[in-house]
Amino acid sequence: MSSATAGHVSPGHADHGHDDHHHATPTGWRRWLFATNHKDIGTMYLIFSFVMLLEGGTLALLLRTELFEPGLQFFRPELFNQFTTMHGLIMVFGAIMPAFVGFANWMVPLQIGASDMAFARMNNFSFWLLPVGGIMLTASFFVPGGATAAGWTLYAPLSLQMGPGMDLAIFTMHILGASSIMGAINIIVTILNMRAPGMTLMKMPLFCWTWLITAFLLIAVLPVLAAAITMLLTDRHFGTGFFNAAMGGDPVLYQHVFWFFGHPEVYIMILPAFGIVSAIVPAFARKKLFGYASMVYATASIAVLSFIVWAHHMFSTGMPVTAQLYFMYATMLISIPTGVKVFNWIATMWKGSMTFETPMLFAVGFIFVFTMGGFTGLILSVAPIDIQVHDTYYVVAHFHYVLVAGSLFALFAGTYYWLPKWTGYMYSEKLGKLHFWSSLISFNVTFFPMHFMGLAGMPRRYADYAAQFTTFHQIATIGAFWFGLSQLIFLYAVLRCYAGRGERAPAKPWEGAEGLEWTVPSPAPFHTFETPPEVK
Amino acid sequence: MTPEQKRRNRTAGLVLFAVVAAIFAWVIFRGSDFLGGVAGLTGR
Repeated sequence: MSSATAGHVSPGHADHGHDDHHHATPTGWRRWLFATNHKDIGTMYLIFSFVMLLEGGTLALLLRTELFEPGLQFFRPELFNQFTTMHGLIMVFGAIMPAFVGFANWMVPLQIGASDMAFARMNNFSFWLLPVGGIMLTASFFVPGGATAAGWTLYAPLSLQMGPGMDLAIFTMHILGASSIMGAINIIVTILNMRAPGMTLMKMPLFCWTWLITAFLLIAVLPVLAAAITMLLTDRHFGTGFFNAAMGGDPVLYQHVFWFFGHPEVYIMILPAFGIVSAIVPAFARKKLFGYASMVYATASIAVLSFIVWAHHMFSTGMPVTAQLYFMYATMLISIPTGVKVFNWIATMWKGSMTFETPMLFAVGFIFVFTMGGFTGLILSVAPIDIQVHDTYYVVAHFHYVLVAGSLFALFAGTYYWLPKWTGYMYSEKLGKLHFWSSLISFNVTFFPMHFMGLAGMPRRYADYAAQFTTFHQIATIGAFWFGLSQLIFLYAVLRCYAGRGERAPAKPWEGAEGLEWTVPSPAPFHTFETPPEVK
Repeated sequence: MTPEQKRRNRTAGLVLFAVVAAIFAWVIFRGSDFLGGVAGLTGR
């Protein structure tokens, strides 16, 4: 981060031009139902996303239980496919995305010196849409025919043929998408209009930068998803034929429209993670972030490139060789700005006075394991290889390395880093470290064997498999249960802080941390920066 | 939040909502052809 420091921070009740609703601290259930405070809404986002993580995780463990042995043990293939689909939808739209919005709600106003988000009431509405969507999606298991089983991508023509569970999934994605769009608009306007005096864009912490760029990505691609699933809906119920070949439509067209959303979506789930890691690495290396400006430009480059690579998800659908070559090379280009980031994190650590508290462990773990996911992504961008391993466990391994060891590890890192600010108490370092090592090892036990299974031809989304894959599947299942149980350590460590157990946290618990959030007491008071701080 | 800040926030918010609506409409009416056409698939 740049040398932004708070010259003067007054927590007092300045009386010029402030909203009245900022001055009272509501209590009881009204505090949460009618919440307009960014910290309360951030907390609710984080609780919701953790609940969804547990639900999605439970589905994953059900899948792994079935896959422990070849043959069908517990679930019919139809139900297995429903679990697979719902696991993906819940993790992407219910867990990872809302968790990052929760972080943005908590930290963006604190980091830019704003008193709250720009649209406090819309913030409340965008949160409360989430439980509605979550309940609808979960309820779809109980409608005739069960939940959608078309995979999280909801590909046509399969998605045109399913029962009412599919309609519920479409409505849910509309609702969750609307929530994310409102959240993105709120974040953009807050960052552009509500920064403290002196907080220029190039002095902003990288977490705010990555979120600003992510919010623009959301604005650009969520309407594309909304349009794609609206077309699915009209094809299903209103006689249109966008994706129906019998009516002159094109099912492959759905894939193009979906992935025009879907690839930037991958970066929506990873760019804020880059921001969190970029806050933590300098704090525990006790050095300024190496190449701040290049980090900003690299983030923007990744976002721009993410719009022009979508068809690398579709090499096997058949496309002209020139198109394959274009999408292959364009995809490879993304490794350049990503490499800039990894280089800068390592350069920041180089000759730093490093200590390895839990946030730093998760950040370093992120860099190591995410980079492995990045490399397998590079391998998958090579069209001839991708055609061989398309829809195999190699792809499953790749995206779990990016989304679990990437996004989820960064979320853990950020939680441990800012937990003292949120709760006023230090977490137990012993529990944190146990959580890290247990998660890192069990994650690799779960997903590393999947590379070999994929290369040997094990297809994804299958309830049954040939006997030669048994050992690797059993290792993966053991790892999955181990990983799942490890998250109970995290839950306990966080609840301990909220229960007021542990050491009291000072305003700035990390020696090397920089930024306005560390100038307010821990826990952060209900109202902060009502008088904007001066940033020099 | 000052009244001036509120006014600027509202304007920015409305512009962004308009962008979202425009992209949604474009994808349904024109974008599908475009996205499929780029990869030479739809033949339109």
